[in-house]
Amino acid sequence: MNGRLVIAIALLALAAALVFAARPHEVTADERIDQITTELRCPVCQGLSVKDSTSETARQMRELVAQRVREGRSNTEIEAEFRAAYGDWILLSPPVASWSGLVWLVPVVALAAGLVLVTGRLRRTETPKPDEPSSTQVAALRERVAREEAAEG
Amino acid sequence: MSAGDLGAAALRAALFLSLWGTGASIYAAWRRDARALASARIAAAVGFGLVVIAALSMMFALATHDFSILYVAENNARETPTFYSIISLWAALEGSILLWTAILAGATAFIAFRGTGAIPRLATTALAVMFAMLTFFLLLITTPAADPFARLALAPDNGNGPNALLQNHPLMALHPPLLYLGYVLTSVPFAYAIASLILGEGGDRWLVATRRFALISWALLGVGIVAGAWWSYAVLGWGGYWAWDPVENAAIMPWLTSTAYLHSVMVEEKRSLLRTWNLALVVATFALTILGTFLTRSGVVNSVHSFSLSAIGPLLLGYLVAILVLSVGLLLWRSARLRDAGPIGAPLSREAIFLFQNVLFMAATLTVLLGTLYPLVAEAISGAQLSIGGPYFDRVEIPLALALLFLMGVGPQLPWHGASRATLERQFTAPIVAAAAGAFAALLTGTTALAAVLTYALGAFVIATVVQEFARGIRARRALHGEDTFAAFSNLLRRSGRRYGGYVVHVGIVLVALAVATSQARTVDAEQTLAPGETLVVAGYTVRLDAIRPVSEPQRDSIVADLTITGNGASENLRPALVQYPNSAAAIGSPGIGAGLRDDLYTILAAYDQRTFSWATIRMRVIPGVSWLWVGGAVVGIGALIAALPAPRRRAVRMPVAEVAVSAK
Amino acid sequence: MKVVRVAVVVAILGLVVTLALAFRRDPHDIRTGTIGKPAPAFTLERLDGSGKVALADLSGKVVVVNFFASWCLPCTQENPALVRVYERYRASDVVMLGVNYQESRDNGLAYVQRMGMGWTTVADDDGRVALSYGVFGPPETFFIGPDGVIAGRHIGPIDEATLVNAIETLRARAVR
Repeated sequence: MNGRLVIAIALLALAAALVFAARPHEVTADERIDQITTELRCPVCQGLSVKDSTSETARQMRELVAQRVREGRSNTEIEAEFRAAYGDWILLSPPVASWSGLVWLVPVVALAAGLVLVTGRLRRTETPKPDEPSSTQVAALRERVAREEAAEG
Repeated sequence: MSAGDLGAAALRAALFLSLWGTGASIYAAWRRDARALASARIAAAVGFGLVVIAALSMMFALATHDFSILYVAENNARETPTFYSIISLWAALEGSILLWTAILAGATAFIAFRGTGAIPRLATTALAVMFAMLTFFLLLITTPAADPFARLALAPDNGNGPNALLQNHPLMALHPPLLYLGYVLTSVPFAYAIASLILGEGGDRWLVATRRFALISWALLGVGIVAGAWWSYAVLGWGGYWAWDPVENAAIMPWLTSTAYLHSVMVEEKRSLLRTWNLALVVATFALTILGTFLTRSGVVNSVHSFSLSAIGPLLLGYLVAILVLSVGLLLWRSARLRDAGPIGAPLSREAIFLFQNVLFMAATLTVLLGTLYPLVAEAISGAQLSIGGPYFDRVEIPLALALLFLMGVGPQLPWHGASRATLERQFTAPIVAAAAGAFAALLTGTTALAAVLTYALGAFVIATVVQEFARGIRARRALHGEDTFAAFSNLLRRSGRRYGGYVVHVGIVLVALAVATSQARTVDAEQTLAPGETLVVAGYTVRLDAIRPVSEPQRDSIVADLTITGNGASENLRPALVQYPNSAAAIGSPGIGAGLRDDLYTILAAYDQRTFSWATIRMRVIPGVSWLWVGGAVVGIGALIAALPAPRRRAVRMPVAEVAVSAK
Repeated sequence: MKVVRVAVVVAILGLVVTLALAFRRDPHDIRTGTIGKPAPAFTLERLDGSGKVALADLSGKVVVVNFFASWCLPCTQENPALVRVYERYRASDVVMLGVNYQESRDNGLAYVQRMGMGWTTVADDDGRVALSYGVFGPPETFFIGPDGVIAGRHIGPIDEATLVNAIETLRARAVR
């Protein structure tokens, strides 16, 4: 009982910390500029974002983004302005609402398929025959053997 | 005879020997012929020597600036310092393939002598596969496709010099060779897997034969990737270490599948399950290394490495297709024999955790693969151009990585076959408390991004489980053998190296994860145009521009900014620069980095007054925790070394059974 | 398990076909999003300081907009072709406009005088105009029809034949 209490308290504390970390907070203008420039591709670099690039073009783009943020445009509007000039290529991650948005599904599908395959190969809980030790007992015995094996190297 | 002639002749002779070796080892395996095997061995050894001679000849030609050789004319200049001349062996395509071939020849020779014992058919067949692959690469470098010793009719006075980025930092000596060693050594388990499939051996012998190779190739690949990240950080000068560039992705994919393999192979060793799956993983790892080479060298993707298009693309693609057709065909043909007898295990068992871990690794690999190739597909089909870069991969891979961190802590704590409730409670109480502590530690250090807090929590979780495992092992050794703590600890590493070395690797991975989380969550940037004497303040650090001055060297001209950085107890003099090499259109940035265990101070000279040096635009990036990335990489390497070293011979001293039962309570 | 086998074979086939198709494309060819769209309006100051030029004032004419800079080596290579084409269409309704990109006006003006560029040149000080056109880097040339729509663009140094071709196509359209 004691052990379970400790675990429960620890899990609650952990959850509290995570909730605190995930709390919504007011996004500053600078943070918005960072958000947008991280998503924009520098046209004259090898795949760098506008935020990371030190090229003059990237600097000018950052200033333009900063001005639009000051003017009160939304992130989508600002990105749309660049998309109109450079095409979807200027975005470093494909917009979800488009054909290329399908790539966002890839990890989900891969995980789901994998989990289905794997859980199909795992054993369901079994009913032990009366004069055979139950799987729990067998497991406990195996652990002990494993520990002793480990100690001997 | 010049170095070029010697090298070219050596390669052609090696090609002939490799063809001979292929035939001889096939015959030796088929007819169990000892003499054929002996001749194959000689062919392997001499062939290796010849390829090494060719590589050394190229290094000599580079060091002596022999511009009659096209490769030297393109990648070397009289002003190039000797160190960089020599390592220009792997500066471009032809030389890289030569390096690759040399390593492959070495591995072939190793298998020929160490692996084949008294003609076990398996090893000899594997040798035949190695020779066949070696022949392909030798064909590449003895034909116009990638001949490093191709001649120029008229030797120019001076060569082009190596690409600017490749002669700016000594890391260039480390990153490609390490990576190539990792890549090439994946061909050994592959060769054994193919041999096992061809011969129809249902057993697991090939696993034992290649276990160490798999571990070593994994370690070298991993360390090579970390070296690449370090190179990106210290040389490319954009302030980051990983950009999900297509070529970076090409390197990490085989590493991911290789990691999955190292774990699922333990399931096969312990319980003789998952044979088909492990064979498929070995094939996938090797195929991904060829795919990686193809993406890097064929010019189909625009990346940091693609400096020139080349005819080698279709040839590598053909090789990849041949490998895939052969391997998949063999797997499908033999899969009936390799089927698992029954279900794998209970959901809460080590086997199951390894399976889940494999699923996560495969999802990660698939995502990287499709993300890298998708732009190609989209453009080929619809002509639309789109980018898939950092933001996509980060968003997708980070949750997978966090899930893997979690499993890394759970897996080693669960026994094979299944765990009881009591076990779970006993094993996981302390780690869960540690996780909560880790989360609060993150918040206390100001790291409040959700993913980062999770990383700290899971990292603490894993470390706690590792400490528990070591404590348990030490306690058991003390009871059983009467050793003191220190001796018990070192014996755990020496005698149970695979297990405890593996735990050390896990600790290294946690350090890497913490470094990535901290640096991504708390990096701060500022950019300002300064006149000499003016300062810029970032995160408590004050950056003062002292001077902007030109520096002239034989092979390059630079503009250097002298910076003094104070604050937070630091005192650094950094010199970011813009370096102009004669053969480069634009200057390349060289960052000034002040590394520290807490923060790295990363300075970039973005622009300057070209006429009177009266101002400079300085960007200062404070990157917390990034040094732990390199430390973590080193720990991973050390752990792999511990795991790979053979255990000292067991002494047959055992305590009587009764005493064991008493002391184990 | 049959499903898995088929899936694996299909996946590998897909991979190979993708990679083979990839040879068709040139990774250095990046296309813009502005072709076929109305040319973004702008008003820029002349490099010699003698007033402003607005794109709106040029409506109804064929306009060739060329982005250049003195630090751009290919720009010097394409300049002779630009000069010849300018001379050829000087007296017509084709307007050539040079936009100086990412440098100081003094440098730009010096370059214009050195290279004998007789046509109107303006300065894009903050780079906004270039960004609105989707410029990757000089030299880039845009062809705007009399209807104010961007009919085509050329990245990199341009030659006389391409220039004349594009101009004549647009003039033919205008006549109709």
